Amino acid sequence: MAVAETELPLASRRRPRLSRHRVVGAAAPYALLVPTAAVIVAVLGYPLYLLIRLSFQKYGLFELVRHKGKSIGFGNYTTIFHDAQFWHVVARTVVFTAVNVGLTMILGTGIALLIARLGRFMRTLLTVGLVLVWATPVVVAVNIWRWMVDYEFGVANWTLTKLHVGDFQHHDWFVSNWSGLGVITAVIVWGAIPFVTITLYAGLAQVPQELVEAAQIDGARAWNVFREVTLPLLKPLLIILTSLSIIWDFQVFNQVWIMLGERPSQDYYLMSIYAFVQSFRINEYGLGSAIAVVMVALMMVATVVYVRQMVKTGEVR
Amino acid sequence: MSTVTPAAPVPVAPTTTRSSPFRRRRIMHRVALNGVALLVFVVMVFPVYWMVATAFKPGSEILDYTPHWIPSHPTLRNFTNAMHRPYFWTDAKNSLIIVAFVVLLSGIVAFLAALALSRFRFRGRSAFIVLIIGVQMVPLAALIIPLYITASRAHLVNTLTGVIFMYMAFVLPFSVWTLRGFMLGVPRELEEAAMVDGATRFGAFIRVMFPLVAPGLVATSIFAFIQAWNEFIIAYVFLHDSSKQTLTVWLASFTTLHGTDWGPLMAGATLTALPVVVFFVLVQRKIAFGLTAGAVRG
Amino acid sequence: MKARVIAAVLFAAVLAAAASTASGSVRSAKADSITVWLMGDAQSGWPTVVADATAAFKAKHPGVDVKVQYQTWGDHLTKFDATIAGGDTPDVIEFGNSETTKYMANGALRQLTASNFPNSKTWLAGLRSSCTYNGRTFCVPYYAGARAIVYRKDQYKAAGIRGTPRSVAQFLSDGKKLMKKYGKKDRNYSAWYFPGKNWYASMAFVYDYNGQIAVRKNGKWVGTLESKNAIKGLTVAKNVVGALSRASKTTDEAHPQQAIVFSKGHVGAFIGNGWEWPYALNKDLGNPALAPVMGAYPMPSHVRGRLMPEFLGGSDLAIPAQSKNVTLAADWIKAFTSTSAETGIAKVGNIPNTTILANVNKDNPQIAPFARAAAASWFVPTAPNWVNVENGDVLQNMLVQIYSGKKSVLAAAKSADKQINKILNG
Repeated sequence: MAVAETELPLASRRRPRLSRHRVVGAAAPYALLVPTAAVIVAVLGYPLYLLIRLSFQKYGLFELVRHKGKSIGFGNYTTIFHDAQFWHVVARTVVFTAVNVGLTMILGTGIALLIARLGRFMRTLLTVGLVLVWATPVVVAVNIWRWMVDYEFGVANWTLTKLHVGDFQHHDWFVSNWSGLGVITAVIVWGAIPFVTITLYAGLAQVPQELVEAAQIDGARAWNVFREVTLPLLKPLLIILTSLSIIWDFQVFNQVWIMLGERPSQDYYLMSIYAFVQSFRINEYGLGSAIAVVMVALMMVATVVYVRQMVKTGEVR
Repeated sequence: MSTVTPAAPVPVAPTTTRSSPFRRRRIMHRVALNGVALLVFVVMVFPVYWMVATAFKPGSEILDYTPHWIPSHPTLRNFTNAMHRPYFWTDAKNSLIIVAFVVLLSGIVAFLAALALSRFRFRGRSAFIVLIIGVQMVPLAALIIPLYITASRAHLVNTLTGVIFMYMAFVLPFSVWTLRGFMLGVPRELEEAAMVDGATRFGAFIRVMFPLVAPGLVATSIFAFIQAWNEFIIAYVFLHDSSKQTLTVWLASFTTLHGTDWGPLMAGATLTALPVVVFFVLVQRKIAFGLTAGAVRG
Repeated sequence: MKARVIAAVLFAAVLAAAASTASGSVRSAKADSITVWLMGDAQSGWPTVVADATAAFKAKHPGVDVKVQYQTWGDHLTKFDATIAGGDTPDVIEFGNSETTKYMANGALRQLTASNFPNSKTWLAGLRSSCTYNGRTFCVPYYAGARAIVYRKDQYKAAGIRGTPRSVAQFLSDGKKLMKKYGKKDRNYSAWYFPGKNWYASMAFVYDYNGQIAVRKNGKWVGTLESKNAIKGLTVAKNVVGALSRASKTTDEAHPQQAIVFSKGHVGAFIGNGWEWPYALNKDLGNPALAPVMGAYPMPSHVRGRLMPEFLGGSDLAIPAQSKNVTLAADWIKAFTSTSAETGIAKVGNIPNTTILANVNKDNPQIAPFARAAAASWFVPTAPNWVNVENGDVLQNMLVQIYSGKKSVLAAAKSADKQINKILNG
């Protein structure tokens, strides 16, 4: 039963209104939720049902043309779990996500700390710069990076050679998938830092200054101040950002896809690419759907901490 | 949100001596910090600079073995080339329409839902929370065919309306959650005071809550803007008529079997990024404070 | 399923018969518009041909609107699959010629009567085979592209090369002369700019030695890249490319566009399509000053005097099975592949779909070598799942391994065959 949080004093002359409020109040939260729930369910409800149903069917181009799939129970799932490539892709995606999230959070936090200590001019400059990065559309940004590491004409090769870091003329950044995924990681982390940094910077600005100063007077060094005072206060924020980053980075698709000219080789497959290729390139929509379901399950596991925290803090006080 | 003011003056270590080594150390500290900040700035902004610089370079300078850091013969040809490509203005208009509706509608709808989540206890609350978090985890690529089948039955294929609804569904979870955080930060007493003064419950929500969570609305608007503006695959698959497509689809047309026209593409990309940057810079100060005020609390 | 296909075919045949025998304008469908999906190349390359075809169509069917929608190569099949699922496919759709088999085999395209379409008796063999499945026709050839060597006449002359090579061996020795003259001082120089993922030109060596990618044996597809002939071809390719090219091993010929790289002056020759010659002279990206020193010749075979078979790329036009405007769609295709339309398409540097027009560009030195090269061609195995081999990048990855030396030719070929067997029979 829904209960409105504020209870009006019984003795007020609004008693009749109060009882009307009670009745209205009961339905109020549901009424407020209806538009959101309606949009989400209307747009995603049936497709999600279809997705799950597809994952239990054999559904290739043949079935697509006839609009009718063949039910095969857990066949797709067993195929996936018995496919060695699938496990490689999972492992690669997990490692890739961990590296990206780790780098994003560490660098993002570091830059936020840096900004907090800057004078006004430099702070504005750096913030505006981060804003420019955040505002650049992903597709565009990937194309720029792709072109910066171009084999023939890329700026990266030229600069590294000129700086005598080594001979990078005609260096191919994508021959080895470690190097290639490294470049892709740089693109993703670069694009993700602004959101994390600006958010954390605002969080830092709310850390009570006297606590910091008190710790400093007690002789604590900067690192200890950070660890004892700042970090605990930022913890909820860090958890939120980390969990969001996990969800977003696990599903990375565009950066890999565009960077590799829409034809990534198999040692670049991440789970979302693998799902897409199965669905649309090999036209096994059933398999592609099963992979997507597995992805959601994996993400749920990875973010269970976040989800529990969110549900808990959803407690209305 | 406001910063916390100190409760009482705290004795502070002496910093105002004119003793040379101490002051010099502080200056060096400052110089080092600024140096690092400048380095970070250059590294982060360089790709964006490269995009804009390339947009002004003549074709021969773009693909060259020696990079041209500053365009030596800046030209507007790439921009005119891009803008004269078919459907530029139409696609820009469509993108703006879609984004305007998505931002506006999802703002309103999320606001209402956040009210429910922040001010009421009711059955099904946890389920709803899990729904909106879980929905963000489904990979889009796997949803394309199911979404298309659904949209087709609703006769919303090849319509801006259909695309707007789809974008809203993708954007709402994050918006609802963020706004809820803000609302939790607004003390209930304020609404109660408004109601004592004769406002209805709903009126109290609007009059009190709305201005106080404005920064949050700004934050979610920008998020919604960027998500809707950048999206490609849904726009490409669901919008068929050339007169209905968006700028991201338009950008994709710069690549043909002949390869990519880099100069015009960068010019087109700069043009595409412009509205986002403008919108963003105008409202940027409010975001961060908005985002965290709710979050730190909760 | 088969009964439905036969019924659909009969229905279409009856309709076509009725349409052709009726007098006056026939509206076989109640529709007032048809939707045509063409690739963006037509929009930028030969828009007037499209407009003329539409005008001719409208003259015959006044009141029927033609909506031409241009697609991008990257995702057009995704979009098409979605429309199949949603039941609103276009009426005419352009496919790359290696994309059709899958759709033909699964009944996604309407069967056509070839003789109803212009010049069907003289369609290019390479394109016709991409439109035929189990002896039946499912699409109409649109245009083709053949590859030939585009080269710097001045550099060849300066390096002491007389004329153009007539065999692979001569090609290699000529290239080595170029590398000796230019490649030593200029580290960016390639006598033959050849990106590793250029599988079309690489597989040409396999076919030149009578090898094949895959054959059908006892009802199953078998990858044959590890056969003796194929290995020989791949090994020769590896040697030639290794000696003459400094291009990236992991990218293809479009990233960066090889004609533009050529235009920078550090390349002796590259193998490309007809449109890449004028593209190198593009006033924005290329170097117009190279016009007097550019030439082209078909790639020679390892057998002296013969031509190496090059991949015949191209596009076809099909009518999706779900289309409700079959006759109208067919009429539009007829207008767009008429002799005059094909002439227009050919004049901008493409190879027309019919041998009748083979000499259209005879006197155009920029296009003639490519038309000649089209005479010797190879095509991908016509297996229904072939496009999945392409989409899985099997051949490209094999070539990267070979050219970069990561795997021996035999090992790379064996691994590719394994994947091909799995995909083609899966």
